[in-house]
Amino acid sequence: MSNTSAYVKEAPLVKGNHTFSSITALVGDIVEKPTPLWWYIAFGISNLVMAMMFVMVGWLIWEGTGVWGLNNTVAWGWAIINFVWWVGIGHAGTLISAILFLFRQGWRTAINRFAEAMTIFAVMCAGLFPAIHVGRIWVIYWVFPLPNQMQMWPNFNSPLLWDVFAVSTYFTVSLLFWYVGLVPDFATLRDRVKNKLAAKIYGICSLGWTGGNRQWQHYEKSYLILAGLATPLVLSVHTIVSFDFAVSIIPGWHTTIFPPYFVAGAIFSGFAMVMTLMLIARKIYGLKDIMTDDHMEKMNIIILVTGWMVGFAYIMEFFIAWYGGVEYEKFAFVNRAIGPYAWAYWIMMSCNVIAPNFFWFKKMRRSVTVSFILSIVVNIGMWFERFVITVTSLAQDFIPGSWAYYSPTYVDVLTYVGTFGFFFTNFLLFLRFMPMVAIAEIKMVMPQADVHNYDENGELLEDKH
Amino acid sequence: MANIKLTDSLEFPDSASPMRLLISVGVVGVIASLVGVVVNTEQFLFSYLFSFSFFISIALASMFLVMVHHITRSSWGVTLRRIPETFSSYIWVFVLLFLPILFGMETLYSWTQEQYSWFYEGLREHKSPYLNTTFFIIRNVIYFSIWSYLGYSLYKYSIKMDETGDWGIDTTLRKISAPGIFFFAFTLAFASFDWIMSLNFDWFSTMFGVYFFAMSFQALFAILILMSLYLRRQGLLLNTITRSHIRDLGGWLFGFSVFYAYIAFSQFFLIYYANISEEILYYTARFEGNWEILAFIFLFGRFIIPFILLLPKKSKSNYKLLFAVSTLIVFSHLVEFYWLVMPPLHSSFSFHWLDLATFLAFAGIFMGMFFYFFKRQSMIPKNDPKLQESLSKH
Repeated sequence: MSNTSAYVKEAPLVKGNHTFSSITALVGDIVEKPTPLWWYIAFGISNLVMAMMFVMVGWLIWEGTGVWGLNNTVAWGWAIINFVWWVGIGHAGTLISAILFLFRQGWRTAINRFAEAMTIFAVMCAGLFPAIHVGRIWVIYWVFPLPNQMQMWPNFNSPLLWDVFAVSTYFTVSLLFWYVGLVPDFATLRDRVKNKLAAKIYGICSLGWTGGNRQWQHYEKSYLILAGLATPLVLSVHTIVSFDFAVSIIPGWHTTIFPPYFVAGAIFSGFAMVMTLMLIARKIYGLKDIMTDDHMEKMNIIILVTGWMVGFAYIMEFFIAWYGGVEYEKFAFVNRAIGPYAWAYWIMMSCNVIAPNFFWFKKMRRSVTVSFILSIVVNIGMWFERFVITVTSLAQDFIPGSWAYYSPTYVDVLTYVGTFGFFFTNFLLFLRFMPMVAIAEIKMVMPQADVHNYDENGELLEDKH
Repeated sequence: MANIKLTDSLEFPDSASPMRLLISVGVVGVIASLVGVVVNTEQFLFSYLFSFSFFISIALASMFLVMVHHITRSSWGVTLRRIPETFSSYIWVFVLLFLPILFGMETLYSWTQEQYSWFYEGLREHKSPYLNTTFFIIRNVIYFSIWSYLGYSLYKYSIKMDETGDWGIDTTLRKISAPGIFFFAFTLAFASFDWIMSLNFDWFSTMFGVYFFAMSFQALFAILILMSLYLRRQGLLLNTITRSHIRDLGGWLFGFSVFYAYIAFSQFFLIYYANISEEILYYTARFEGNWEILAFIFLFGRFIIPFILLLPKKSKSNYKLLFAVSTLIVFSHLVEFYWLVMPPLHSSFSFHWLDLATFLAFAGIFMGMFFYFFKRQSMIPKNDPKLQESLSKH
């Protein structure tokens, strides 16, 4: 077989000719070494921002939803936008950990652990918004169908109720999935840390893991089952989130492509967030051998693909809004593009559909700067997508007399900013105390672990063919 | 490095080719269809569109699979790849097969007619910038040019790699596939609007393109399983397309059965829930009378039964079961197209002999072309860089 220069060979998933123990050391040291100063600073700032969130939420509960910028027509403002945005961010974690696992994509192992952590914290941030939006938070348990003397039940026909079930199930399964994956790595840390108390805690968390044959069998099986469960769940969550809008007959909301379009958008924004976090984390912790430029390139391809799925949906919606011949639908869409919120629409279009096209070029896909900037651009774009969907469809409703320009108040803005504090507080704790890369899993995809990668004398083959 | 040798003959022998059968089926079908043109032109056209949709959906889904295979640098399916490659290599034939639809479009598509129900008052005029004969033809020329080019070049370069063993072609194939998928998505969506959705030109659904794709892609995996099992039965490629490849096909079939159900249900559900007259009439017409029976046939045939049967891991490598489920899914795919295409013609379901005649004509042509091209080349991409990896799959 000939091998010409035009053929591009696939790069190994772990670079730098590591051994198994050097990988363990690389990841384990992050947790075992003394806390660096920057961590305290970052943690302090995050805590302050998070405290601001609690103040804002407190003020909201004390005073009522009037402190937000909601008006007559826009009864769903930043809260629902932020909810959808954060839930969407979370989806990439499950996609990487569960769907790519089922597709046997070895490269997921470098990023799955912290992407899953991101999922869990993002879903927590998301859950906050509908909870505080109910108005009377002290009766929030009414969202659950609890038998009661008043014979009062939630509306089972409402997608908002399905959301309660979908999101809570999703959160539970994601958490379990994350934890199951962590067990062998907790055991590794248990055996490595010098501090007695830390060893004890990691020991409890590792559930008596010894790395025995039977344990690995059970582990693999449960991991596969959880991946199989998480995959439909990730689809169902954003599908039901899209139903929140699409089942109603509000022009701009009621369109059949919403479910897959929301799921694609969620993965799009989630991958962008994973990219942002990955580029920061690998820089700080020197993990370039594990999270290589090839990983970055693959993720950028997914961002490009999902970006165009979203773009496809925008174009279909616009086309059908005209083709359908429904006057109100047409108005809603034209109004998005040239109405009072056109600025938001065009931010959305440029960030989500135009910007990712840089990734058609290999050079751009492999550039850290471009990847970092675009990952943030995409997240901005996806926030505006939800803004466009929610606000533009509501603001100009069927009665022109009630049209009013929607703008948020400082409480809206600061609550949203505050959730970043909440997110990063959790994320920093995770980076500090848990193995941020799946040590056991990454070893399985190293060139050294491939039985076909040794010659007859047991020497590692440089060239894979 | 363990080097797994190809032990099978890669030539498709004449003895395994069902050519004679296909030619006779095709000839019977074509003659019967020609009779149909004279006897009942309207019925012929609708039956023809139905059969056309079914077969082109397989060719288009094949093309998509090949492109996805290239851009994801997949190795699992290398030994299977020649089958979808061949299916999509002759999409240009559909240009000729499209002509009857073009000539009959005034019968098929009510938006071409001056006379139509008062119910659609103004709609035809509103949609005329898009739904007019000239633009319809232009669009179809664009679709077929893009598809013929993609299908043929994906095949041609793959064959070239067989002959020259130049692995650089792998890069060429990926460079075709990446923009190929982009153009494929849009052309497929608009083609499905044009061919099928505009039969009821009052109706619209942003999901329709995705729905057409989801249907086709699911059916393709069933077809691929049937083809692999056929080759096995003929004693071909026994150590090349192994149990583990077929098990993967079974996995994909399961996955895309769920995906199909997800898309089809979402489209139905959102329209059902909102229940507004602009949209719901499409479904009410299709749930009236015995059309509903068809809906239940494909609901069970391509989702509920396959879901239950394919869920256990074991069943994905059980050939008999896979054969049964795949046949059921292909049949349901057929039924679903029937259910989409026919209601504008008949208010209740009644089978017409022309449905069978056009189907046989297409089957003869489509499968005949397949075996004609399949025989001329090696049955697998024998010099593919990922072949070793695919062969050593377990």
